[in-house]
Amino acid sequence: MHSDSIATNSSNIIPMASSNAKDFAKKKRVNRSAKLKQCKLDARREQWLSKVNKCSSEKEDSNGVRVLGPLSKAGNVQGRAMEKLEIRPRGEEENHGLHIHHYSDSESPSNSPMSHNGSILGGNDSGTTFTGSSRSSVSSSRSSSSSRSGGSCSGSMSEEDEEGDDECLDDWETVADALAATEEKHKPDDHSLDTDTASESKDVAHGDSHPDDATGAAPDDDLKAKPENGISLDRSTVKCRAWRPDDVFRPQSLPNLSKQYSFPMNPERYFGCGGSVWGCKNVRPAPTSCPICYEDLDYTDSSFIPCSCGFKLCLFCHKRILEEDGRCPGCRQQYKNESGKVETLLDGNSLAFRLARSCSMVTRS
Amino acid sequence: MQQSRARLFKEYKEVQREKSADPDIQLVCDDSNIFKWNALIKGPSETPFEGGVFQLAFSVPEQYPLQPPQVRFLTKIFHPNVHFKTGEICLDILKNAWSPAWTLQSVCRAIIALMAHPEPDSPLNCDSGNLLRSGDIRGYQSMARMYTRLAAMPKKG
Repeated sequence: MHSDSIATNSSNIIPMASSNAKDFAKKKRVNRSAKLKQCKLDARREQWLSKVNKCSSEKEDSNGVRVLGPLSKAGNVQGRAMEKLEIRPRGEEENHGLHIHHYSDSESPSNSPMSHNGSILGGNDSGTTFTGSSRSSVSSSRSSSSSRSGGSCSGSMSEEDEEGDDECLDDWETVADALAATEEKHKPDDHSLDTDTASESKDVAHGDSHPDDATGAAPDDDLKAKPENGISLDRSTVKCRAWRPDDVFRPQSLPNLSKQYSFPMNPERYFGCGGSVWGCKNVRPAPTSCPICYEDLDYTDSSFIPCSCGFKLCLFCHKRILEEDGRCPGCRQQYKNESGKVETLLDGNSLAFRLARSCSMVTRS
Repeated sequence: MQQSRARLFKEYKEVQREKSADPDIQLVCDDSNIFKWNALIKGPSETPFEGGVFQLAFSVPEQYPLQPPQVRFLTKIFHPNVHFKTGEICLDILKNAWSPAWTLQSVCRAIIALMAHPEPDSPLNCDSGNLLRSGDIRGYQSMARMYTRLAAMPKKG
Protein backbone atom coordinates (compact mmCIF):
# COMPACT_ATOMS: atom_id res chain seq x y z
CA MET A 1 0.00 0.00 0.00
CA HIS A 2 2.99 2.25 0.42
CA SER A 3 3.72 2.20 -3.20
CA ASP A 4 0.10 2.94 -3.77
CA SER A 5 0.09 6.11 -1.85
CA ILE A 6 3.34 7.20 -3.40
CA ALA A 7 2.06 6.60 -6.82
CA THR A 8 -1.13 8.40 -6.25
CA ASN A 9 0.54 11.24 -4.47
CA SER A 10 2.92 11.88 -7.24
CA SER A 11 0.20 11.60 -9.76
CA ASN A 12 -1.98 13.91 -7.77
CA ILE A 13 0.64 16.56 -7.60
CA ILE A 14 1.56 16.57 -11.20
CA PRO A 15 -1.88 17.05 -12.64
CA MET A 16 -2.18 20.16 -10.55
CA ALA A 17 0.77 21.63 -12.30
CA SER A 18 0.02 20.49 -15.75
CA SER A 19 -3.72 20.67 -15.69
CA ASN A 20 -3.96 24.02 -17.39
CA ALA A 21 -1.65 23.22 -20.21
CA LYS A 22 -3.13 19.86 -20.85
CA ASP A 23 -6.65 20.78 -20.22
CA PHE A 24 -7.84 20.63 -23.76
CA ALA A 25 -6.23 17.35 -24.60
CA LYS A 26 -7.33 16.07 -21.29
CA LYS A 27 -10.97 16.66 -21.95
CA LYS A 28 -10.80 15.06 -25.29
CA ARG A 29 -9.02 12.07 -24.04
CA VAL A 30 -11.09 11.68 -20.97
CA ASN A 31 -14.20 11.71 -23.01
CA ARG A 32 -12.94 9.02 -25.24
CA SER A 33 -11.51 6.87 -22.60
CA ALA A 34 -13.89 7.50 -19.79
CA LYS A 35 -16.20 4.62 -20.39
CA LEU A 36 -13.60 2.04 -21.07
CA LYS A 37 -11.41 3.12 -18.26
CA GLN A 38 -14.37 3.01 -16.02
CA CYS A 39 -14.95 -0.58 -16.85
CA LYS A 40 -11.38 -1.53 -16.31
CA LEU A 41 -11.06 0.44 -13.18
CA ASP A 42 -14.21 -0.90 -11.71
CA ALA A 43 -12.79 -4.35 -11.81
CA ARG A 44 -9.60 -3.14 -10.32
CA ARG A 45 -11.23 -1.09 -7.70
CA GLU A 46 -13.21 -4.03 -6.54
CA GLN A 47 -10.04 -5.95 -6.19
CA TRP A 48 -8.50 -3.18 -4.23
CA LEU A 49 -11.54 -2.74 -2.14
CA SER A 50 -11.50 -6.31 -1.15
CA LYS A 51 -7.82 -6.12 -0.47
CA VAL A 52 -7.58 -2.78 1.14
CA ASN A 53 -10.06 -1.69 3.68
CA LYS A 54 -9.04 1.89 3.60
CA CYS A 55 -11.75 3.71 1.80
CA SER A 56 -9.76 6.86 1.51
CA SER A 57 -6.80 5.25 -0.12
CA GLU A 58 -9.17 3.58 -2.49
CA LYS A 59 -10.57 6.91 -3.55
CA GLU A 60 -7.18 8.32 -4.05
CA ASP A 61 -6.27 5.37 -6.16
CA SER A 62 -9.19 5.72 -8.38
CA ASN A 63 -8.70 9.43 -8.71
CA GLY A 64 -5.09 9.08 -9.43
CA VAL A 65 -5.56 6.44 -11.98
CA ARG A 66 -8.29 8.27 -13.72
CA VAL A 67 -6.18 11.32 -14.12
CA LEU A 68 -3.25 9.31 -15.26
CA GLY A 69 -4.46 8.95 -18.81
CA PRO A 70 -4.17 12.60 -19.76
CA LEU A 71 -1.01 13.06 -17.77
CA SER A 72 2.22 14.22 -19.25
CA LYS A 73 4.57 11.41 -20.07
CA ALA A 74 6.83 12.00 -17.15
CA GLY A 75 4.11 11.75 -14.65
CA ASN A 76 2.61 8.94 -16.54
CA VAL A 77 5.67 6.84 -16.52
CA GLN A 78 6.35 7.51 -12.94
CA GLY A 79 2.89 6.74 -11.81
CA ARG A 80 2.60 3.73 -13.98
CA ALA A 81 5.88 2.37 -12.94
CA MET A 82 4.84 2.54 -9.38
CA GLU A 83 1.54 1.09 -10.22
CA LYS A 84 3.21 -1.76 -11.97
CA LEU A 85 5.33 -2.42 -8.99
CA GLU A 86 2.36 -2.44 -6.80
CA ILE A 87 0.16 -4.48 -9.02
CA ARG A 88 2.43 -7.35 -9.63
CA PRO A 89 3.29 -8.17 -6.05
CA ARG A 90 -0.34 -7.81 -5.20
CA GLY A 91 -0.24 -11.37 -6.13
CA GLU A 92 -2.41 -14.03 -7.48
CA GLU A 93 -5.84 -12.82 -6.71
CA GLU A 94 -5.75 -9.64 -8.61
CA ASN A 95 -4.20 -11.36 -11.52
CA HIS A 96 -6.89 -13.93 -11.34
CA GLY A 97 -9.48 -11.29 -11.35
CA LEU A 98 -7.96 -9.65 -14.36
CA HIS A 99 -7.53 -12.90 -16.10
CA ILE A 100 -11.08 -13.81 -15.59
CA HIS A 101 -11.98 -10.51 -17.03
CA HIS A 102 -9.71 -11.10 -19.90
CA TYR A 103 -11.15 -14.47 -20.67
CA SER A 104 -14.64 -13.32 -20.58
CA ASP A 105 -13.64 -10.56 -22.91
CA SER A 106 -12.01 -12.80 -25.39
CA GLU A 107 -14.65 -15.40 -25.06
CA SER A 108 -17.55 -13.60 -26.46
CA PRO A 109 -15.82 -12.29 -29.56
CA SER A 110 -14.65 -15.79 -30.22
CA ASN A 111 -18.23 -16.80 -30.04
CA SER A 112 -19.21 -14.24 -32.53
CA PRO A 113 -17.37 -15.68 -35.51
CA MET A 114 -18.78 -18.99 -34.55
CA SER A 115 -22.17 -17.54 -34.82
CA HIS A 116 -21.29 -16.03 -38.15
CA ASN A 117 -20.11 -19.30 -39.48
CA GLY A 118 -22.99 -20.97 -37.85
CA SER A 119 -25.43 -18.71 -39.54
CA ILE A 120 -23.82 -19.53 -42.82
CA LEU A 121 -24.32 -23.14 -42.08
CA GLY A 122 -27.65 -22.51 -40.58
CA GLY A 123 -26.85 -23.22 -37.00
CA ASN A 124 -25.44 -20.71 -34.64
CA ASP A 125 -25.95 -22.61 -31.50
CA SER A 126 -23.96 -25.41 -33.00
CA GLY A 127 -20.55 -24.19 -32.12
CA THR A 128 -19.92 -27.36 -30.28
CA THR A 129 -21.41 -29.56 -32.87
CA PHE A 130 -18.86 -28.53 -35.41
CA THR A 131 -16.16 -30.25 -33.56
CA GLY A 132 -12.87 -30.25 -35.25
CA SER A 133 -14.08 -27.30 -37.18
CA SER A 134 -10.66 -26.04 -37.76
CA ARG A 135 -11.64 -23.12 -39.86
CA SER A 136 -14.12 -21.65 -37.55
CA SER A 137 -11.73 -22.00 -34.71
CA VAL A 138 -8.98 -20.52 -36.76
CA SER A 139 -11.06 -17.65 -37.86
CA SER A 140 -12.34 -17.17 -34.40
CA SER A 141 -8.89 -17.12 -33.01
CA ARG A 142 -7.87 -14.75 -35.71
CA SER A 143 -10.69 -12.39 -35.16
CA SER A 144 -10.45 -12.71 -31.48
CA SER A 145 -6.75 -12.17 -31.54
CA SER A 146 -7.37 -8.51 -31.67
CA SER A 147 -9.70 -8.81 -28.81
CA ARG A 148 -7.22 -10.99 -27.02
CA SER A 149 -4.64 -8.37 -27.36
CA GLY A 150 -7.27 -6.03 -26.11
CA GLY A 151 -7.90 -8.37 -23.28
CA SER A 152 -4.28 -8.53 -22.45
CA CYS A 153 -4.32 -4.79 -22.48
CA SER A 154 -6.54 -4.91 -19.50
CA GLY A 155 -4.14 -7.28 -17.87
CA SER A 156 -1.11 -5.18 -18.54
CA MET A 157 -2.82 -1.89 -18.82
CA SER A 158 0.03 0.06 -17.37
CA GLU A 159 2.50 -0.81 -20.10
CA GLU A 160 0.02 -0.32 -22.84
CA ASP A 161 -0.92 3.03 -21.55
CA GLU A 162 2.66 4.07 -21.44
CA GLU A 163 3.20 3.22 -25.03
CA GLY A 164 0.13 4.71 -26.47
CA ASP A 165 -3.22 5.22 -24.94
CA ASP A 166 -5.03 5.66 -28.16
CA GLU A 167 -4.14 2.39 -29.77
CA CYS A 168 -5.17 0.47 -26.80
CA LEU A 169 -8.36 2.36 -26.47
CA ASP A 170 -9.19 2.04 -30.09
CA ASP A 171 -8.78 -1.64 -29.76
CA TRP A 172 -11.03 -1.66 -26.82
CA GLU A 173 -13.58 0.41 -28.51
CA THR A 174 -13.73 -1.82 -31.51
CA VAL A 175 -13.88 -4.83 -29.33
CA ALA A 176 -16.65 -3.37 -27.31
CA ASP A 177 -18.50 -2.45 -30.44
CA ALA A 178 -18.02 -5.89 -31.85
CA LEU A 179 -19.17 -7.38 -28.63
CA ALA A 180 -22.34 -5.42 -28.54
CA ALA A 181 -23.03 -6.06 -32.18
CA THR A 182 -22.46 -9.77 -32.04
CA GLU A 183 -24.37 -10.19 -28.89
CA GLU A 184 -27.28 -8.45 -30.40
CA LYS A 185 -26.98 -10.60 -33.44
CA HIS A 186 -26.56 -13.73 -31.51
CA LYS A 187 -29.51 -13.44 -29.29
CA PRO A 188 -32.21 -12.75 -31.84
CA ASP A 189 -30.92 -15.57 -33.97
CA ASP A 190 -31.14 -17.97 -31.15
CA HIS A 191 -34.54 -16.79 -30.35
CA SER A 192 -35.80 -17.09 -33.84
CA LEU A 193 -34.38 -20.55 -34.13
CA ASP A 194 -35.93 -21.69 -30.94
CA THR A 195 -39.24 -20.23 -31.77
CA ASP A 196 -39.00 -21.69 -35.21
CA THR A 197 -38.48 -25.17 -34.01
CA ALA A 198 -40.99 -24.79 -31.28
CA SER A 199 -43.64 -23.40 -33.54
CA GLU A 200 -42.93 -25.98 -36.16
CA SER A 201 -43.19 -28.82 -33.78
CA LYS A 202 -46.36 -27.30 -32.45
CA ASP A 203 -47.67 -27.01 -35.94
CA VAL A 204 -47.08 -30.64 -36.37
CA ALA A 205 -48.75 -31.43 -33.14
CA HIS A 206 -51.78 -29.52 -34.19
CA GLY A 207 -51.82 -30.26 -37.86
CA ASP A 208 -51.11 -33.95 -38.06
CA SER A 209 -52.42 -36.27 -35.49
CA HIS A 210 -49.98 -39.09 -36.10
CA PRO A 211 -49.02 -41.11 -33.14
CA ASP A 212 -45.39 -40.36 -33.79
CA ASP A 213 -45.94 -36.70 -33.55
CA ALA A 214 -46.15 -37.11 -29.88
CA THR A 215 -42.46 -36.56 -30.13
CA GLY A 216 -43.05 -33.36 -31.94
CA ALA A 217 -45.64 -32.19 -29.48
CA ALA A 218 -43.09 -31.73 -26.77
CA PRO A 219 -40.20 -29.88 -28.32
CA ASP A 220 -38.03 -30.51 -25.31
CA ASP A 221 -38.66 -34.18 -25.40
CA ASP A 222 -37.92 -34.61 -29.02
CA LEU A 223 -34.49 -33.28 -28.37
CA LYS A 224 -33.88 -36.11 -26.01
CA ALA A 225 -35.69 -39.00 -27.53
CA LYS A 226 -35.42 -39.72 -31.22
CA PRO A 227 -34.35 -36.22 -32.02
CA GLU A 228 -33.45 -36.83 -35.60
CA ASN A 229 -36.68 -38.53 -36.31
CA GLY A 230 -38.78 -36.10 -34.49
CA ILE A 231 -37.42 -33.04 -36.11
CA SER A 232 -36.88 -34.27 -39.60
CA LEU A 233 -40.27 -35.80 -39.41
CA ASP A 234 -41.69 -32.50 -38.38
CA ARG A 235 -40.00 -30.70 -41.15
CA SER A 236 -41.00 -33.13 -43.76
CA THR A 237 -44.55 -33.37 -42.67
CA VAL A 238 -44.98 -29.70 -42.31
CA LYS A 239 -43.13 -28.42 -45.30
CA CYS A 240 -42.36 -31.15 -47.73
CA ARG A 241 -44.89 -33.82 -47.10
CA ALA A 242 -42.34 -36.25 -48.37
CA TRP A 243 -43.05 -38.89 -45.80
CA ARG A 244 -46.70 -38.37 -45.57
CA PRO A 245 -47.89 -41.75 -46.77
CA ASP A 246 -45.90 -43.91 -44.44
CA ASP A 247 -45.37 -41.41 -41.74
CA VAL A 248 -46.11 -43.88 -39.06
CA PHE A 249 -43.27 -46.11 -40.02
CA ARG A 250 -40.70 -43.44 -40.41
CA PRO A 251 -39.27 -43.33 -36.94
CA GLN A 252 -38.48 -46.99 -36.93
CA SER A 253 -36.77 -46.98 -40.24
CA LEU A 254 -35.05 -43.66 -39.91
CA PRO A 255 -32.22 -44.61 -37.64
CA ASN A 256 -31.21 -47.27 -40.08
CA LEU A 257 -31.03 -44.78 -42.88
CA SER A 258 -27.64 -43.35 -43.24
CA LYS A 259 -27.38 -39.63 -43.29
CA GLN A 260 -26.71 -39.55 -46.95
CA TYR A 261 -30.34 -40.38 -47.51
CA SER A 262 -31.63 -37.86 -45.12
CA PHE A 263 -29.54 -35.07 -46.52
CA PRO A 264 -30.65 -34.68 -50.09
CA MET A 265 -34.25 -34.85 -49.09
CA ASN A 266 -34.39 -31.16 -48.55
CA PRO A 267 -30.97 -29.66 -48.35
CA GLU A 268 -32.16 -26.12 -48.02
CA ARG A 269 -34.22 -26.88 -45.04
CA TYR A 270 -31.33 -28.59 -43.43
CA PHE A 271 -29.20 -25.65 -44.26
CA GLY A 272 -31.71 -23.33 -42.77
CA CYS A 273 -32.29 -25.26 -39.64
CA GLY A 274 -28.94 -26.89 -39.45
CA GLY A 275 -28.45 -25.71 -35.95
CA SER A 276 -31.10 -27.76 -34.39
CA VAL A 277 -30.52 -30.72 -36.64
CA TRP A 278 -26.83 -30.86 -35.95
CA GLY A 279 -27.49 -30.33 -32.34
CA CYS A 280 -29.71 -33.31 -32.30
CA LYS A 281 -27.08 -35.58 -33.70
CA ASN A 282 -25.70 -35.15 -30.28
CA VAL A 283 -28.06 -37.74 -28.95
CA ARG A 284 -27.60 -40.36 -31.58
CA PRO A 285 -28.14 -43.76 -30.09
CA ALA A 286 -24.88 -45.48 -30.99
CA PRO A 287 -21.94 -43.42 -32.14
CA THR A 288 -19.87 -45.56 -34.42
CA SER A 289 -16.15 -45.34 -34.59
CA CYS A 290 -13.88 -44.59 -37.45
CA PRO A 291 -12.78 -47.85 -39.01
CA ILE A 292 -9.33 -46.46 -39.62
CA CYS A 293 -8.30 -44.95 -36.33
CA TYR A 294 -11.05 -46.54 -34.23
CA GLU A 295 -11.80 -43.19 -32.69
CA ASP A 296 -15.41 -42.30 -32.18
CA LEU A 297 -17.01 -40.41 -34.98
CA ASP A 298 -18.39 -37.06 -34.01
CA TYR A 299 -21.27 -35.33 -35.74
CA THR A 300 -19.07 -33.88 -38.37
CA ASP A 301 -17.46 -37.18 -39.13
CA SER A 302 -20.57 -39.25 -39.08
CA SER A 303 -22.20 -37.01 -41.63
CA PHE A 304 -19.11 -36.95 -43.78
CA ILE A 305 -19.33 -39.39 -46.64
CA PRO A 306 -16.42 -38.71 -48.94
CA CYS A 307 -16.91 -41.61 -51.31
CA SER A 308 -19.83 -42.82 -53.32
CA CYS A 309 -19.41 -46.28 -51.83
CA GLY A 310 -20.65 -44.84 -48.57
CA PHE A 311 -17.57 -45.76 -46.61
CA LYS A 312 -17.41 -43.50 -43.61
CA LEU A 313 -14.33 -42.37 -41.86
CA CYS A 314 -13.29 -39.49 -39.75
CA LEU A 315 -12.05 -36.30 -41.31
CA PHE A 316 -8.58 -36.75 -39.90
CA CYS A 317 -8.12 -40.14 -41.49
CA HIS A 318 -9.64 -38.90 -44.69
CA LYS A 319 -7.13 -36.11 -44.81
CA ARG A 320 -4.29 -38.46 -44.10
CA ILE A 321 -5.42 -40.76 -46.86
CA LEU A 322 -5.70 -37.89 -49.29
CA GLU A 323 -2.17 -36.95 -48.44
CA GLU A 324 -1.05 -40.46 -49.28
CA ASP A 325 -2.66 -42.36 -52.11
CA GLY A 326 -6.12 -40.85 -51.92
CA ARG A 327 -8.01 -44.08 -52.30
CA CYS A 328 -11.15 -44.85 -50.42
CA PRO A 329 -10.50 -47.61 -47.89
CA GLY A 330 -13.90 -49.07 -48.58
CA CYS A 331 -13.78 -49.57 -52.32
CA ARG A 332 -10.12 -48.79 -53.05
CA GLN A 333 -11.21 -46.33 -55.69
CA GLN A 334 -9.58 -42.97 -56.01
CA TYR A 335 -11.50 -40.30 -54.22
CA LYS A 336 -13.21 -38.08 -56.72
CA ASN A 337 -12.37 -34.49 -57.46
CA GLU A 338 -14.83 -33.26 -54.95
CA SER A 339 -12.93 -35.08 -52.34
CA GLY A 340 -9.82 -33.47 -53.64
CA LYS A 341 -11.43 -30.16 -52.99
CA VAL A 342 -12.20 -31.31 -49.55
CA GLU A 343 -8.55 -31.88 -49.07
CA THR A 344 -7.62 -28.37 -49.96
CA LEU A 345 -10.51 -26.87 -48.14
CA LEU A 346 -10.62 -29.23 -45.28
CA ASP A 347 -9.87 -26.45 -42.91
CA GLY A 348 -13.01 -24.81 -44.15
CA ASN A 349 -15.39 -26.96 -42.34
CA SER A 350 -18.43 -25.50 -43.89
CA LEU A 351 -17.09 -26.42 -47.27
CA ALA A 352 -16.36 -29.91 -46.13
CA PHE A 353 -19.91 -30.11 -45.04
CA ARG A 354 -21.21 -28.84 -48.26
CA LEU A 355 -19.08 -31.22 -50.19
CA ALA A 356 -20.03 -34.11 -48.04
CA ARG A 357 -23.54 -33.23 -48.78
CA SER A 358 -22.98 -32.95 -52.45
CA CYS A 359 -21.19 -36.25 -52.42
CA SER A 360 -24.07 -37.85 -50.69
CA MET A 361 -26.34 -36.46 -53.33
CA VAL A 362 -24.16 -38.00 -55.94
CA THR A 363 -24.43 -41.33 -54.26
CA ARG A 364 -28.11 -41.09 -54.19
CA SER A 365 -28.69 -40.19 -57.80
CA MET B 1 3.39 -42.57 -35.36
CA GLN B 2 1.03 -41.59 -32.64
CA GLN B 3 -1.96 -42.52 -34.71
CA SER B 4 -0.59 -45.91 -35.61
CA ARG B 5 0.19 -46.56 -31.99
CA ALA B 6 -3.28 -45.58 -30.93
CA ARG B 7 -4.80 -47.74 -33.55
CA LEU B 8 -2.63 -50.70 -32.62
CA PHE B 9 -3.63 -50.32 -29.01
CA LYS B 10 -7.22 -50.38 -30.05
CA GLU B 11 -6.62 -53.46 -32.12
CA TYR B 12 -4.89 -55.07 -29.20
CA LYS B 13 -7.89 -54.41 -27.01
CA GLU B 14 -10.13 -55.77 -29.70
CA VAL B 15 -8.06 -58.91 -29.91
CA GLN B 16 -8.13 -59.36 -26.16
CA ARG B 17 -11.84 -58.85 -26.09
CA GLU B 18 -12.60 -61.30 -28.88
CA LYS B 19 -10.03 -63.85 -28.02
CA SER B 20 -12.38 -66.71 -28.53
CA ALA B 21 -14.15 -65.13 -31.48
CA ASP B 22 -11.91 -66.67 -34.10
CA PRO B 23 -10.38 -69.91 -32.83
CA ASP B 24 -8.18 -70.22 -35.88
CA ILE B 25 -6.24 -67.07 -35.14
CA GLN B 26 -4.20 -66.18 -32.14
CA LEU B 27 -2.71 -62.74 -32.32
CA VAL B 28 -0.21 -61.67 -29.74
CA CYS B 29 1.67 -58.46 -29.46
CA ASP B 30 5.31 -58.24 -28.58
CA ASP B 31 5.64 -57.34 -24.91
CA SER B 32 7.95 -54.44 -25.48
CA ASN B 33 7.06 -53.27 -28.95
CA ILE B 34 3.56 -52.62 -30.14
CA PHE B 35 4.81 -52.58 -33.71
CA LYS B 36 5.84 -56.23 -33.57
CA TRP B 37 3.17 -58.83 -33.52
CA ASN B 38 3.06 -62.57 -33.81
CA ALA B 39 0.19 -64.70 -34.90
CA LEU B 40 -0.55 -68.37 -34.81
CA ILE B 41 -2.98 -69.53 -37.43
CA LYS B 42 -4.42 -72.95 -37.95
CA GLY B 43 -4.17 -74.48 -41.37
CA PRO B 44 -7.59 -74.51 -43.00
CA SER B 45 -9.41 -77.80 -43.12
CA GLU B 46 -9.55 -79.84 -46.30
CA THR B 47 -6.21 -78.48 -47.37
CA PRO B 48 -2.77 -80.01 -47.07
CA PHE B 49 -2.18 -77.57 -44.25
CA GLU B 50 -4.92 -78.98 -42.06
CA GLY B 51 -3.75 -79.76 -38.57
CA GLY B 52 -0.76 -77.50 -38.79
CA VAL B 53 -0.19 -74.37 -36.77
CA PHE B 54 1.69 -71.67 -38.60
CA GLN B 55 3.43 -68.77 -37.03
CA LEU B 56 3.34 -65.38 -38.66
CA ALA B 57 5.47 -62.38 -37.84
CA PHE B 58 4.00 -58.93 -38.28
CA SER B 59 6.10 -55.87 -38.61
CA VAL B 60 3.88 -52.83 -38.52
CA PRO B 61 5.13 -49.65 -40.16
CA GLU B 62 4.73 -46.31 -38.50
CA GLN B 63 2.38 -45.21 -41.24
CA TYR B 64 0.01 -48.00 -40.35
CA PRO B 65 -2.84 -48.27 -41.14
CA LEU B 66 -2.18 -46.25 -44.25
CA GLN B 67 0.66 -48.59 -45.04
CA PRO B 68 0.13 -52.34 -44.81
CA PRO B 69 1.91 -54.38 -42.19
CA GLN B 70 4.73 -56.58 -43.32
CA VAL B 71 3.88 -60.19 -42.71
CA ARG B 72 5.91 -63.30 -43.20
CA PHE B 73 5.68 -66.92 -42.27
CA LEU B 74 8.03 -68.00 -39.55
CA THR B 75 6.92 -71.57 -40.03
CA LYS B 76 8.10 -73.30 -43.15
CA ILE B 77 5.31 -73.78 -45.60
CA PHE B 78 5.10 -75.22 -49.08
CA HIS B 79 2.79 -72.82 -50.84
CA PRO B 80 3.12 -71.17 -54.23
CA ASN B 81 2.63 -67.68 -52.82
CA VAL B 82 4.96 -68.00 -49.88
CA HIS B 83 8.68 -67.76 -50.27
CA PHE B 84 10.06 -71.04 -49.05
CA LYS B 85 13.12 -69.58 -47.39
CA THR B 86 12.14 -66.13 -46.19
CA GLY B 87 8.46 -66.78 -45.58
CA GLU B 88 7.55 -63.70 -47.58
CA ILE B 89 3.94 -63.69 -48.63
CA CYS B 90 2.70 -62.60 -52.02
CA LEU B 91 -0.72 -61.26 -51.31
CA ASP B 92 -2.25 -58.28 -53.02
CA ILE B 93 -3.84 -56.90 -49.90
CA LEU B 94 -0.43 -56.72 -48.31
CA LYS B 95 0.82 -54.69 -51.24
CA ASN B 96 -1.18 -52.52 -53.58
CA ALA B 97 -4.64 -53.63 -52.58
CA TRP B 98 -4.14 -52.74 -48.95
CA SER B 99 -6.87 -50.74 -47.38
CA PRO B 100 -6.59 -48.95 -44.07
CA ALA B 101 -9.86 -50.54 -43.14
CA TRP B 102 -8.06 -53.85 -42.78
CA THR B 103 -6.79 -54.97 -39.44
CA LEU B 104 -4.13 -57.41 -38.35
CA GLN B 105 -6.90 -59.83 -37.61
CA SER B 106 -8.35 -59.50 -41.07
CA VAL B 107 -4.90 -59.93 -42.55
CA CYS B 108 -4.66 -63.21 -40.73
CA ARG B 109 -7.97 -64.26 -42.18
CA ALA B 110 -6.80 -63.28 -45.62
CA ILE B 111 -3.70 -65.39 -45.21
CA ILE B 112 -5.77 -68.36 -44.13
CA ALA B 113 -7.87 -67.86 -47.23
CA LEU B 114 -4.73 -67.68 -49.32
CA MET B 115 -3.59 -70.99 -47.89
CA ALA B 116 -6.83 -72.57 -48.99
CA HIS B 117 -6.78 -70.91 -52.39
CA PRO B 118 -3.26 -70.62 -53.76
CA GLU B 119 -2.54 -68.39 -56.73
CA PRO B 120 -0.04 -70.36 -58.81
CA ASP B 121 0.20 -67.63 -61.44
CA SER B 122 2.15 -65.29 -59.24
CA PRO B 123 4.39 -67.70 -57.42
CA LEU B 124 7.08 -66.95 -54.94
CA ASN B 125 7.70 -70.65 -54.56
CA CYS B 126 8.24 -71.74 -58.16
CA ASP B 127 8.35 -75.43 -57.40
CA SER B 128 5.00 -75.32 -55.73
CA GLY B 129 3.59 -73.05 -58.41
CA ASN B 130 4.82 -75.26 -61.19
CA LEU B 131 3.27 -78.33 -59.62
CA LEU B 132 -0.06 -76.65 -59.52
CA ARG B 133 0.24 -75.08 -62.94
CA SER B 134 1.14 -78.38 -64.49
CA GLY B 135 -1.97 -79.82 -62.91
CA ASP B 136 -0.15 -82.06 -60.49
CA ILE B 137 -2.53 -81.41 -57.67
CA ARG B 138 -1.62 -84.61 -55.97
CA GLY B 139 2.07 -83.83 -56.06
CA TYR B 140 1.45 -80.37 -54.66
CA GLN B 141 -0.77 -81.66 -51.91
CA SER B 142 1.63 -84.34 -50.79
CA MET B 143 4.55 -81.93 -50.76
CA ALA B 144 2.54 -79.37 -48.84
CA ARG B 145 1.28 -81.96 -46.39
CA MET B 146 4.78 -83.26 -45.84
CA TYR B 147 6.08 -79.82 -44.96
CA THR B 148 3.09 -79.20 -42.79
CA ARG B 149 3.89 -82.34 -40.83
CA LEU B 150 7.53 -81.49 -40.69
CA ALA B 151 7.29 -77.89 -39.71
CA ALA B 152 3.84 -77.01 -38.48
CA MET B 153 2.89 -79.94 -36.29
CA PRO B 154 4.18 -80.87 -32.89
CA LYS B 155 6.89 -83.48 -33.12
CA LYS B 156 5.78 -86.91 -32.09
CA GLY B 157 8.02 -88.91 -29.97
